[in-house]
Amino acid sequence: MEGGYDEIISDNPFFVEFKKEYSDLFQHCISESWIVCVPRIGSLNTRVFTIEDFCAHILVPSDELPETHYSTLTEKQVTVGNKVITLEVTKGLPLHSHILFEETFYTEDFIKYKVWCLETPLEPSTNNGGVDVTKDCLSSINDCIDLLWTQAAGRQVLDQIELNVQLFLKKNPSLPLAIAPLKDAVSELYTQCLQATLQNRRLREKSKSSKHIMENIKVAVECYMQQLLFDYIFKPICTSCSYEDSHLNKKIRNMSDIQLRDLDIKKDLYHAVPRAKQILSKIDSYNTILEKVLCLKQALNAIHKKDTSNNIVFLTADDLLPVFVFLLIKSGLPNWYSQFTYMKEFRFSGVGKGDGDESTFLITTLEAVIEHIQSGALAGPPDPESYYYDSNPSEDSLSSTEQRRSSLTESVSPPEMNPREETLDYVFDLIKANHTEQVQMVLERNHKHLINMEDNEKTAMNLVLNEALDNDDDSDTSDLELYQKLCHPLCNCKKCCQKISKNLLKISPTVNSRDSHGLTPLHIASIHGKAAIVEVLIEMGAEINTSDLNECTPLHYSASRGHQNALLLLLHSGADMKKTNIDKNTPLHMAVNNGHINCVKALIYFAEHGRKQIDVNACNEGGTTPLHMAAKWGYEGIAKLLIENGADPSLQNRNGKTAFDLAHNLKILHVLKSSTPNMYEYIHITSYDVKKLNVKVDHPFSQMLQNLKIRSGDRNKACKTVENLKRIERILQAISYGDVKLACFYMNIDYEVYLNSKNYSKESQCHPLCECICCKKNTLRCISDFDVNFCDSNGVTALHDAARYGLDELCNILILNKANVNITNRKGQTPLHLAALNNKSVVLQCLLNNGANINAIDLSGNTALHDACDVGNIGATKTLIGFNPDLTMLNASEKSPLDVAKEKVHLTIIDLIEKYVNKTSIYK
Amino acid sequence: MATSLSSTHNFKVVLLGEGCVGKTSILLRYIEDKFNDKHLTTLQATFLNKKLNINGKRINLSIWDTAGQEKFHALGPIYYRNSNGAILVYDITDEDSFIKVKNWVKELKKMLGSEIVLVIAGNKCDLEHERSVERIEAERYAGMVGAKHYYTSAKLNQGVEELFLDLTRELVERFEQNAQADVTRTSRVLVVEDEAPAPSSCCSGSRSS
Repeated sequence: MEGGYDEIISDNPFFVEFKKEYSDLFQHCISESWIVCVPRIGSLNTRVFTIEDFCAHILVPSDELPETHYSTLTEKQVTVGNKVITLEVTKGLPLHSHILFEETFYTEDFIKYKVWCLETPLEPSTNNGGVDVTKDCLSSINDCIDLLWTQAAGRQVLDQIELNVQLFLKKNPSLPLAIAPLKDAVSELYTQCLQATLQNRRLREKSKSSKHIMENIKVAVECYMQQLLFDYIFKPICTSCSYEDSHLNKKIRNMSDIQLRDLDIKKDLYHAVPRAKQILSKIDSYNTILEKVLCLKQALNAIHKKDTSNNIVFLTADDLLPVFVFLLIKSGLPNWYSQFTYMKEFRFSGVGKGDGDESTFLITTLEAVIEHIQSGALAGPPDPESYYYDSNPSEDSLSSTEQRRSSLTESVSPPEMNPREETLDYVFDLIKANHTEQVQMVLERNHKHLINMEDNEKTAMNLVLNEALDNDDDSDTSDLELYQKLCHPLCNCKKCCQKISKNLLKISPTVNSRDSHGLTPLHIASIHGKAAIVEVLIEMGAEINTSDLNECTPLHYSASRGHQNALLLLLHSGADMKKTNIDKNTPLHMAVNNGHINCVKALIYFAEHGRKQIDVNACNEGGTTPLHMAAKWGYEGIAKLLIENGADPSLQNRNGKTAFDLAHNLKILHVLKSSTPNMYEYIHITSYDVKKLNVKVDHPFSQMLQNLKIRSGDRNKACKTVENLKRIERILQAISYGDVKLACFYMNIDYEVYLNSKNYSKESQCHPLCECICCKKNTLRCISDFDVNFCDSNGVTALHDAARYGLDELCNILILNKANVNITNRKGQTPLHLAALNNKSVVLQCLLNNGANINAIDLSGNTALHDACDVGNIGATKTLIGFNPDLTMLNASEKSPLDVAKEKVHLTIIDLIEKYVNKTSIYK
Repeated sequence: MATSLSSTHNFKVVLLGEGCVGKTSILLRYIEDKFNDKHLTTLQATFLNKKLNINGKRINLSIWDTAGQEKFHALGPIYYRNSNGAILVYDITDEDSFIKVKNWVKELKKMLGSEIVLVIAGNKCDLEHERSVERIEAERYAGMVGAKHYYTSAKLNQGVEELFLDLTRELVERFEQNAQADVTRTSRVLVVEDEAPAPSSCCSGSRSS
């Protein structure tokens, strides 16, 4: 895969002849440890080699600079640098030749000598036109195509591979979702492609002539195949790896604020990291493994340090791994595990080279890095705010707080306190160490002290210190003692003044103190998930919705750290779920981004139960909704949860990407799709991206969609938005509970206005056709922005359900809001049918009064009267008959309403109808 | 070349040992012998390919350096799986590093059995006066676990060349024994042949840890 040139030196005719014909000279070379240069096979024309030829290829190290300067046995000066030999020539330009590789030979008695394989001979005269020019190293898909094209002198080989891939895809319309069978299938395809390639006579001959060409052909075939196949196989790979990926993403997200120093990365490497990160993040854009591996290599090569003389010194293993870990965390790629699996398992051409080659090394290093992150050995930066403080509050701080605690208990009363204890840092350390009582004690004491000081200030102003002393009797002793320590209560000698001013100047942290980053104790407790302390702090009056410099509230921190208990405590104490931080992230964003499903659940359920609103479709600065994040990082459970709670997968972020676009594997895509199929249908009409993506993924589905689209187009309701679908669901639910007010609320109809207008219109309508301002206003206000004729996926409108549940009042409201009384659902039923079926006479009356078609039929040909007769609803039948239905109407089974009633033996109804028939016939 | 019977052995060798014992120095020393380190256009100092030809046998040695920090210890198996040889380096002035070597030996024996060729290197032998690991103890231990013991000094370029040469010879010998014992079983070491287009699915993929 590296494409490093290789040939078997001992088979090289130049070398063979040298050894055979001039063994004395050869032996002399060995004993003098001179370097033998061998032009690569094919670079020298096959002719008789002379002694001059050999002498020109023996390098004798110079005495002064044995590393870089040599002279040949033909007395020519040669310099070596950067793997290039430069031969000084008497006239013209110096001759350059690449050292392709070095091979160290050992004789039987283990005498060492070196052989350099050169690209071109070290002789100016023999510079032939390059009979067999091969690229040394394939480094991109273009190189591969170029090789196959030129070597085979035409497109045939490429076409063959394309054909094979197409046949493969036809044969396997849905690729297996497990790595092993997928790998086997692709491996088989690779063999086929290679066989097809080698059927080309030119290529076959060339590959036989040189092992190097053979290796390159293998790589090229594999690359081209991968390029064609990538779109089809990468999604299944991502799907198989979805669990690992989301697990890894969660780990990475939770340490996204990690700093270089947290990983003990040497300072002199810092400068190279941004560049390496930039290179590495492009790995996603490459389709072939060759290019991906090359990308890894470039990224790692970009990390180097310079020694004093500005030479580039490459990384050692000790430095490499931490930097690589850092790069991976910061790369922002959501599917590292899939990338790794692809690179590791779908490399076929390199297999023959054993397990030790450079690509394997790079891939193994990637594996090690992933493993390291996944193992949790790096628990992120030890403390989120260690970044701020540069302190390392691990064990040592714990033990020191332990010590401090003991000193604290000793010195509860003395006013001369250790200044360290009075700092906010100390309080923060206490919180981190989870010393609830200590925190409480310190803060309470400080609080009291503050109050006392205020008191003292007042009294001091009044110069009535005696009283002050009395007042202080019941309060903290520290202040009492302070005053007792003064020479005299009224004394103002230097010493006493100092004492008093010290007391006044003493800055002691309280519950709402902030550090330089705006963090309060409540923030710290939330970051560390110390629920008990959160509770105490809240009790002590800590401000809940306070925000730090990044505008993060404690709720943000507890959500992003996944501390459910702290989060719930904060919520119950009135934390604001809608507050956004500097990047306009809500707490929900934070919890989703870091993959804390427990916190996501807590937020959503709390909102549900507390009748609070949580905006699951909230956008941050980049227009990213929580669902975008869940889709991108592959958090299946969270995505499901969000969808269930009304998240809209069709929303676009700033880059115009929907959650569908960000989903990397089929599982997530499935969650996004399957949750609400009807929703999906409409998305496809509106979102071109989604359609595109879907066509790419699975063809049968997209076909189905085409059909769906046509159907929905027929129904002429294409403009439905997902938002409205969710809304109608809620409305219908409210109606099913009989909650007219709620339904009105959802529909944006002012129920009160309706009531008023009803009374108003009853009492003082100027005139039925009046258009005076008050009448007009009333009617206008009844009308909402919501289209009441909007239906759900079954075509059920609000009026359908209102009729079904007999909510005559709502029916009136809906009709006032221009509801279509003859609207049909998927079964072709009008609201009238439903009212008849459910025996809602009042509703029937209302509908019929407002122009409902009494003879409307549903898909099975039934009129409302058929339905009423069928079920035996006497009231409904009576009402319907009052509106002159057509009794001769026959349904799909060729029955009139009377037949239906007779069939079901509803005697009263038969009687009613017969009476009516008689009446009408008499009338006629 | 169809007429040629010569083939190339590919061997993978890992360098293991505590941080600061000089693993990387040994590797660099071995490379430096090749070209001046300025000319290192290959990868980092973490991976090296060395072509050797011992007595007509062609060997391609891939040497992998590993991170020595304790926190990366758990990643060892990822690096040493499928290795043919391991060089365990300790610092003769550091008792702990020798204990670490013992741990590595135990782990390697457990994970890879006796298939792997072990070499123990006591590095920094130029600091003889500061020695804290007893010469006898180290050599006795090496003998006990069937490993060769070397004293190396990357600083003075002592013993490095020998160490790699002997290791390579041992690897070849071991390989040839195996090949004789079981001609078909070449799972660990693959011979590259000219005509071997069909990719056997031998890189048994599952992620072992």
